[in-house]
Amino acid sequence: MNRLRAWLDAPQPVERLALLRVLLPLAILGFLSSRLVHADAWLTASGFRLPDLGGDWRQPLYVPALPAWLAWTIAAAIAASGLSLAAGFATGTAGAIFALLVAFVTLADRLEAFTVSKLAPVLTLALAFAPSGARYGVDAWRRRRRAPDAPVVTRVAGGPIRFFQIFLVAMYSATGIAKARGDWLKTQVLWTHLHDEYQTRVAWLVMRALPGWSWWALQGLVLTFELGAPLWFALRWTRRPALVVGLGMHAMIGLMFGPVVWFAILMASILIACFLPEPLLLRAFRSRERAPAPRAA
Amino acid sequence: MRGAAPNHRASPGSRSGAPPARPWRRRLVTGLGALYIIALWLDGVGARWLDNLLPLPARMFVQVSELFPNASPDSIEWRARAWRCDLARYEELDVRPFFPIRSDDKESRFDRAMFFYHRQGKVMAALDDYLTSANNRLHPDARIGGVMLLSLRVPIPPLGEPGPRHERLPIADYAPTVSRNYWYTTGVDARQRRCEEGAGQ
Repeated sequence: MNRLRAWLDAPQPVERLALLRVLLPLAILGFLSSRLVHADAWLTASGFRLPDLGGDWRQPLYVPALPAWLAWTIAAAIAASGLSLAAGFATGTAGAIFALLVAFVTLADRLEAFTVSKLAPVLTLALAFAPSGARYGVDAWRRRRRAPDAPVVTRVAGGPIRFFQIFLVAMYSATGIAKARGDWLKTQVLWTHLHDEYQTRVAWLVMRALPGWSWWALQGLVLTFELGAPLWFALRWTRRPALVVGLGMHAMIGLMFGPVVWFAILMASILIACFLPEPLLLRAFRSRERAPAPRAA
Repeated sequence: MRGAAPNHRASPGSRSGAPPARPWRRRLVTGLGALYIIALWLDGVGARWLDNLLPLPARMFVQVSELFPNASPDSIEWRARAWRCDLARYEELDVRPFFPIRSDDKESRFDRAMFFYHRQGKVMAALDDYLTSANNRLHPDARIGGVMLLSLRVPIPPLGEPGPRHERLPIADYAPTVSRNYWYTTGVDARQRRCEEGAGQ
């Protein structure tokens, strides 16, 4: 128990949290953008609305159509709070507002509830509770102006990063088990999902270029990666190969499955922020920044 | 994960420079985070008993990890045909102008409504009402009295033989091997009533 607590609490570079704070709301806003610009068709009676289905499991909550002014206000507030969170401006408040509003619109309209919008409230709420505005944002800049001699935050409590790391691995693992319980061990699945409106030009070119057997190899690689994710990310010597395979998988999904690109970006962002080797992460953030002089604790 | 650059001061537990969170709040947030991840994982691995524990709205937020578990036997296209009052016959209705959000792909509200609720008469009737009134508002000179809502099952080519790139075709251009399933048709009475209402305007 003590070892677990020590692992959970081990301080983590603030850059991991800052990267999540910037990338997650932007990926979520990217996904929502096509809805936000059509807030009237999305949330008001001028678009198609599902009737009240009286407790049907596919309609978790019935929310009647909103008046147009409210729909546009919510859309504007989602955009503003998401951008504010990404910029690290009023970080905690912006994150909480963003999470609550996205949760509301996800519940209010089942037709626009996708994996990204279902994940968004919890992930951004985690950012709101975490010290994600401690550095690399407007809040941090204002604090620095107020107190130039205050120490620079370089590491934060490990809990929030551990949450994102465990979330990601649990997500891969559950997805892998769901695939294994489905058709992935019995028949070719990947190929069959590349023939509808999600098909991009890249997908079509890749399908033409790759021989049939290679789809079995790709399917095996994806399944091995996802099923074994708890092991691959727990062991130090498999963590980097797992990072590369995971990023490759998300890149393929983003390039080949049309609108699924925002989900791919969201997951790839968490993967990079959580598992990029620390020297690389710090180099990316601090390459242009003059290192502050050492300060006494 | 190794240590930070030595010339940067470590300040574990600080929140935006503020003191660390109170222990009870920290425990609460940690507990909620752990419960969320456990529920998400259990849902993905098929623990259906979880459905009895979580209320519907909460359950939706953990139903996120079953991603493409099964093969698609066919590619499904959701379409509509409309009864033209002036021509007294059904013609294909392009629904995309009435569903501006991601109108060209499976994330369109029309495709989503058909995918989730094609066996649910109440939703199909609502879709009928919406399509009819939206079309008649936009095209008063080509009024419709009702719709047929259908799916096309387009066969997926054999592994390694991708065929031509996917494109949207008119219903009539699909080969006879593409099966058509009609899920909803407006009743004749309602169709006539709507057409007569239009004729009186």
